[in-house]
Amino acid sequence: MKKTIITALILLLSLLPVLAMGNSEKNSEVTEVVIWHSAQGSNSDVFDSLIEEFNNTVGKDQNIHVESIYQGKANDVLTKVNAASGTSSLPDIAMMDATAATDMNASEYLVTIDALGVDTSKILESGLSSYTSEKGLLALPFNASALLYYYNKTLYDSLGLTAPRTIADMAYVASKTGLKDSNGKLTRAGFIGIPTTFELSTFIGAQNGISFMLDNRNGHDGGATKAIFKEEGTYKTFLQEWKKVFDTGFYSTATSGTTEEFTSGRAAAFLASSSKLATIINSAEGFEVGVAAVPMVNENATGGTVISGGALFAFTDNSAVKTVLEYLISADVQALWSEGTGYVPVNTDTYNTESYKAFLKENPLYSVASDSLLSSNPNMTNVWVPSAYSIYYSFQTNILNFLNGTDVDTTVSEMESIINSAIKTYRDQNK
Amino acid sequence: MKKVQRKPFDTFRFIMRKILLVLLAAIVLFPVFYMISSSLFSASDFNNLRLLPSHPVWENYTKALNQKYFIRYMFNSIGTSLITAFLRTAIVILAAFAFTHLRFRGKSIVFAALVLTLFIPQEAILYQNYRTVAGMGLLDTWAGIISTSLFSAAQMLLLMGSFKIQGKEIYDAARIDGASDPKYILSILIPLSGPAILTVGIQTLIVSFNSYLWPLLVTNKNSSRTIQIGMTMLGFSESGQLGPQMATLVIVTVPFLLFLALAKKKIETTLIRR
Amino acid sequence: MREKKTTKKYHSQNKAYLYLLPAITVAALFYWYPSLKSIVESFLTVNQSGKILGFAGLDNYRRLFSDPAFINSLKVSLTFIALFVPANTFITLLAASLTRRPSRLSFIPEYIFFAPVAVSLSAYSLLMRDIFRGQASVLNNLLGTTFSGITSAAGAMAVLVVLGIFLDFGLDYILLICAFRSIDSSVVEAARMDGAGGWRLYWLVEVPMIKDTVLVTVFLALKDAILISAPIIILTEGGPFRSTETVMFYYYTEAFRSGNRGVQNALAALVLTLAALIMTIYTTYKKIKEER
Repeated sequence: MKKTIITALILLLSLLPVLAMGNSEKNSEVTEVVIWHSAQGSNSDVFDSLIEEFNNTVGKDQNIHVESIYQGKANDVLTKVNAASGTSSLPDIAMMDATAATDMNASEYLVTIDALGVDTSKILESGLSSYTSEKGLLALPFNASALLYYYNKTLYDSLGLTAPRTIADMAYVASKTGLKDSNGKLTRAGFIGIPTTFELSTFIGAQNGISFMLDNRNGHDGGATKAIFKEEGTYKTFLQEWKKVFDTGFYSTATSGTTEEFTSGRAAAFLASSSKLATIINSAEGFEVGVAAVPMVNENATGGTVISGGALFAFTDNSAVKTVLEYLISADVQALWSEGTGYVPVNTDTYNTESYKAFLKENPLYSVASDSLLSSNPNMTNVWVPSAYSIYYSFQTNILNFLNGTDVDTTVSEMESIINSAIKTYRDQNK
Repeated sequence: MKKVQRKPFDTFRFIMRKILLVLLAAIVLFPVFYMISSSLFSASDFNNLRLLPSHPVWENYTKALNQKYFIRYMFNSIGTSLITAFLRTAIVILAAFAFTHLRFRGKSIVFAALVLTLFIPQEAILYQNYRTVAGMGLLDTWAGIISTSLFSAAQMLLLMGSFKIQGKEIYDAARIDGASDPKYILSILIPLSGPAILTVGIQTLIVSFNSYLWPLLVTNKNSSRTIQIGMTMLGFSESGQLGPQMATLVIVTVPFLLFLALAKKKIETTLIRR
Repeated sequence: MREKKTTKKYHSQNKAYLYLLPAITVAALFYWYPSLKSIVESFLTVNQSGKILGFAGLDNYRRLFSDPAFINSLKVSLTFIALFVPANTFITLLAASLTRRPSRLSFIPEYIFFAPVAVSLSAYSLLMRDIFRGQASVLNNLLGTTFSGITSAAGAMAVLVVLGIFLDFGLDYILLICAFRSIDSSVVEAARMDGAGGWRLYWLVEVPMIKDTVLVTVFLALKDAILISAPIIILTEGGPFRSTETVMFYYYTEAFRSGNRGVQNALAALVLTLAALIMTIYTTYKKIKEER
C-alpha cells in the first residue's frame, strides 16, 4: 500500500510541470497571432485552410504564426471576449458580428482598424459603414453576408411558381407550397421562421428608400438614445404585411432547427444568411435549392438589403496583426472564402478576378447575395443596440405574440419600450 | 383458502409491475441507445429521422478520432481529472485526520468554517472565481481547471465518519511505537478506510471528468480544452455532420459505462454498509 | 508524565494546522473570499474592469428587480422547480421501488438505472437537443406524436425537465436502492406475518423507513433545480423566447456576456443567501430528527 502511494506521489510530481503547460509552445522569433472565430461546420474548415495557407506562405516569410480557435457561435465569442478582457487570454483578433459592436465600441481593449493602419480602400462601402462609429472603423469586414430567401426550387418549378418579390407574394406562394394531412396537421410549411433583429434591419431599413430602427443612424453615431420605428410606422407596416403569411395557415413559427426543416424538405422556404449557402446546398435532400433577394415589405421598400455578417475586431496593435488582417481581406483570399462558404467578398477587386467571375458563372446562386448587396443603398446599416442578444429574443417573442392575436399598436409599443429601457440601462451604467 | 383467492390479482399486479419496469428501463436507456445507433448514421439518416442506421457508417469513428484535437482534449480531461481526484482525496484525508485524531485550539471554528463551504454553491460565485483564477494567470492551464475543485466538505465529513470508527486506540498505540503521523496515515489509516477513500476518489474522478461549466470558462485554447468542452465545439453539428459528434460521445461515454458495470457491486456495498 | 502530555498537545496544535492548510487555502480562495466579495460588492458600484466607483446602497438590487429579463428568469426557474422536483422524485422512487427486491435477474434493470451516472452533462444535453430537435424528430417519428420539442416555449421547458431528470437519475437511484436494501428484512417479514402485503406493506412499512433518503434526493433535486444553467447553455441558450432562461443562466449571461458587475454581484448575494437558508432548514430538520 505504502509503495503504491509513494509511486503515485512520484507520478504526480512528475506531472506537475504539465500543470504549467499551455503557454509554453512559443518560439521567441515567431510572432504568434491568435484568432478566435465562429465559423461553423464546413465554413470552419475553409477558414482553417486559409489560415494554414497564410502560415505556409506569408507567415513563413515574415515569421508570423496564426492560431485559429473556434469558440462557438458569434455570441459565444463575444462572451469569451468580454470575460477575457483584461486578462492575458484576450486574443489578438476576434471574429464577431454587429451584436458585439456596442460592447466593443466602449471597450478599452479594442484597437481600431484606423489605429492599425490597415488599407481599406478596396473594401465595400456598405461593409465599412456597418462597422464605423464615432471612434472610426471598429472592425474589418471579413465575413460579410446578405439575408436571402431560400426556397425549394424543385417544388416551386413543379407548381409553376417563382420566388416572391414582396411579402404579400410570399403569402400567396406559401399558401400554394404548404401541405396539411387529413387531420389538419402541417406536414410541409410554406414558410418557416420568425424574423428578428437581423431580418428586421432589412425589412425596416429598406422602407421608403432608407429607414432606421434606432436614432443616430441605428446607433452608429455615438450610440442610440431611442427606437424610432414606432414614430416612423415602419415596424407596424412590416407586421401588418407579415401577418398575411401567418394567416395562410401554412406558416411554421419554429425558431430553431429551421435549416434542417428546410434541407429535409419539410419546409418550402425560409430566410437565412448567404453564409449558409454552401452548407444548405450540400445538405438539401432530393431537391434543388433556389435563392432570391429578400422579399420587399411593400412597393415603397426600395432600399434593398442590409449588409450583415461578421467582422474582425483587433485587440493587439502590432504589424503582425496588420499583416494578417490585410491577408484575410485580399482579393484572392476573399474569393476562396466566398467560394467555400457563400459569404460575399468584401474586397471590390475580387469581383474583377477571372477566377471569381468563372466561379460565379458555374455557380449562379452565389451571385444573388452580392448582386442584391451591390444594388442596395450603401447607407442602410445594421443595428447597434446594447444587450443585443436580449433584444434578439425579445423581437421573436414580440412578433409571435402579435401573430397570436396581440393588437398591432400594443405590439409596437411594447417592443419600443423594451429597446428604450435597454438603452437607458446601458447609458446609465456607462456615463 | 385466502391465498388461492388472492392469486389472480397478484399475478395481474406482477405483470403490471414488470411492464412498468420494462417501459421505464426502455426510457432510461433510450438516449444511450440512440447515441450508439446514431453514431453510425449517415447525414441523411439524421434527416430521415431513423432509429437505426440504414447502413453503418464507420467513418464517423475515424472522423471523430482523427479530429485534430481529439487526443489533446482526452489527454487534458484524463490528466486534470486524475490529478483532481488524487489531490482532493489527499487534502480531504489530511483534513479529516486532523479533525478526528488531533486536538488543537480553534478546532470547532475551523471545522464550522470548512463545513460552511457546503452552503456555498460554486455556481453563484462563478464570476468571482473566474477573476481570481484569471488574476493568477491560470487561464488555459491545468492548474486553472483543477483549482476550484480541490476541496469538498461533504467528502471530508464522509471520511471523518469512517476515520472515527477506527478509534483513537490504534493511533495512540502507533504513536507509542514511534510511528510518525504521515507513517500512521499511509500505513494504517488509509488501508483501514479503503472503501470510503476509494468512493471519494472515484466520485471525484467522475465528477471532474464530466464537468462542463468551469472548464468552458477557463479554457480558450484548443490545446487546453477538455473533451466535455471539445465535444460541443467539434463544429460537426452545423453542417449536418452529427454522426462524428455522436461517435465522439460514444468514445467518451462507453468506457465509463463499462467501468460502472465493474464498480457497481463495490459502490453498492459501500453505500449499504455505510 | 504530565509534562510529556502538554508538549504533545502543544506539538499537535501546530501540526493540525499543517494538515489543514491545503483545505483551508482552497476554501478561503474559492469559497470564503469570493462569497464575501460578492456580498460586499453588491452594495457598491463597480465598473466593468473591476474598479470600485462608490457606494451604491440598494441600487444594484433595484436594478436587478426592475429588469424584465430577471423577473422572467424568476418565473422560469420557479416553473422549472415546480415541474422538475416532483417529477424527478416520482420517477426515481418508482424505479427504485420496482427493483427493490433483489432477484436473480435484477442486476439487469439495476445496471440500466445506474448507467446515467456514466453519461456526462454535455453528452446528455447534446443527445436531448437532437432527440427533441423539433416537430420532425426521431421520437415523434417513433411514437407518431407531434411534440414540438425545443422549438416551442412549453416544449423546451418540458425537454429541460426531462434532461434534468436524466442528469440526476443515476445518483438518486443508487441512493434510493441502497436505502431500500438496507431496510432490516426482519421488519418487513414481521409486517408480512401481520398480514400486510403489497401496497400496504410498501406504503406503511417500507417507504417510511427510507423517508430520510427520499428527503435527501428531494433536497439534491431542489439544489440542482435552483442552480441549473450549464445544460441550458448547450440545449437551448435560454430560448425559444426566453422560455428556458433560468435565474442562473441569466446570471451567467449577465456576468460573462454583458459584463454587468452590479447585477451579477446582487444576484450572487441573493443566491448565496437562499442557499444558506435552504441548507439551514435542511440541517435543522436533520438535527431535530436525530435528537428525537
